[in-house]
Amino acid sequence: MVVTGQDRKELMLRIINLAESVTKSGVDPFDVDVKEFFERLRVILPKLRDSDELNLDIDAVLGLANIIFHQGESIRFKSSLLYLDPLLIMWKIRSLSSKELAGVLTSSWHPIVDMESITPHGIKESMDYWTNLPRFGDRAMLDSTEVLPEEMEFQELARLGILSKEEFIVAIERAWGELKEKADGGEISYWDFINAKTFEETISRAWLVSFLVSYGYATIDVKPLEEEIFLKPLPKPMKLERVTTFSVPISISRSEWQRRRKSG
Amino acid sequence: MAEEKDVADLREKVARAAQLLLFRRHMQPGVKAWELKRDLGRNYLEVIKVLDVELGKLGLTVKKVEGGEEDSDSDRYFVTMRGHPAVSEARTFGWRIDDMAILSVVLSYILSKRGKAPLKEVERVLEEKFPRWKVEQDVDRFIRRGYLEEDDEGVLYIGWRTRAEVDQKALLGLLLGREKVAEEKAKSEGSPEAGGNENEAEENVQ
Repeated sequence: MVVTGQDRKELMLRIINLAESVTKSGVDPFDVDVKEFFERLRVILPKLRDSDELNLDIDAVLGLANIIFHQGESIRFKSSLLYLDPLLIMWKIRSLSSKELAGVLTSSWHPIVDMESITPHGIKESMDYWTNLPRFGDRAMLDSTEVLPEEMEFQELARLGILSKEEFIVAIERAWGELKEKADGGEISYWDFINAKTFEETISRAWLVSFLVSYGYATIDVKPLEEEIFLKPLPKPMKLERVTTFSVPISISRSEWQRRRKSG
Repeated sequence: MAEEKDVADLREKVARAAQLLLFRRHMQPGVKAWELKRDLGRNYLEVIKVLDVELGKLGLTVKKVEGGEEDSDSDRYFVTMRGHPAVSEARTFGWRIDDMAILSVVLSYILSKRGKAPLKEVERVLEEKFPRWKVEQDVDRFIRRGYLEEDDEGVLYIGWRTRAEVDQKALLGLLLGREKVAEEKAKSEGSPEAGGNENEAEENVQ
């Protein structure tokens, strides 16, 4: 049988795509005939000509290995008590009414019990607000001014009870340790460091970085021409004296975060 | 005398543990193990066990959710209802029947798919029974509240709140009629403590 270069490439790309579908889209790993694909890769291996083809071959073999891993996971899951056939579940979902489905949830539900509380400071602030609030009739006459949200200082967060001093120090030390490890004696791209699985986590990491820099745990280097920002951890926290300091506003939008996640 | 002092000390620690667990101090409810260790000392698990017995008298329990890291410091502790609410009771917490049904479908579907499913697929399943606007609104809400998690590739996972609040085995069992919903409901309405499931014992602090 004559196998052209195009056929070889298509086969390898198909295997890579299949492996991705198993990992990302939840395709049943047992739908893939791994043995058959390995056999076909073995046949074409001596005919691979250039490094591109060899790289594709490596990716295809890794993809098949990944499918075998998922087959193992699948067997483990199916042998656990939690496994039920998805088709059976779908059939039940379709056949039950909303009320019955709600009953299923509530009968297996043990809601968390917690209480929100107000601090003495919060009570005082509310009282001041109420005392200083103009009478309703006068309020319509007042001009309103739009106030943009401002950065919240750590002291303010601590005062509100959102973050204690100990927790804050632990968080800063942990972020510093991680930065040192990732920078490996050098520097690391700001975006690479703050980039996280969720947008909220990314913002939280950016917030911690602002303190790492302000408190002298790391330095920040903005390269406007390359449009890059680098972070360099310091071996020990330093008070930067006799150094001209400046603020670096960095805007992080959800769309920017999504773009960077996709590209990187 | 020393014994009396020990009892008084334990009482104080149990009270402190109750305050830590019941009053929300962070954005999320519950307390991490390292915070309990810091405030209650190394034997914090003993204190939590005593608290669990005390809370049991009120129909509540302390539940541990593993943090996914090797050390136990990242484990999180919550106070939850020991039994479960009836549908009519849950409506008084601000939950509509549709909301509960949607969460029930999403969780069952994700659990049957080995703990993760693409959002689009979940929405397609839900839209067979519920209007699109309701589906989108509820899924967003469940992600915000922690019942579900979504990664940047649009895949849904079981969230921290589901791990804390929902007995996942019981949910699937009830859906397939392996456990009788009506019986469970009658039990929970009759006695708030009767809903305890044997499976839960592993997760509860007992």
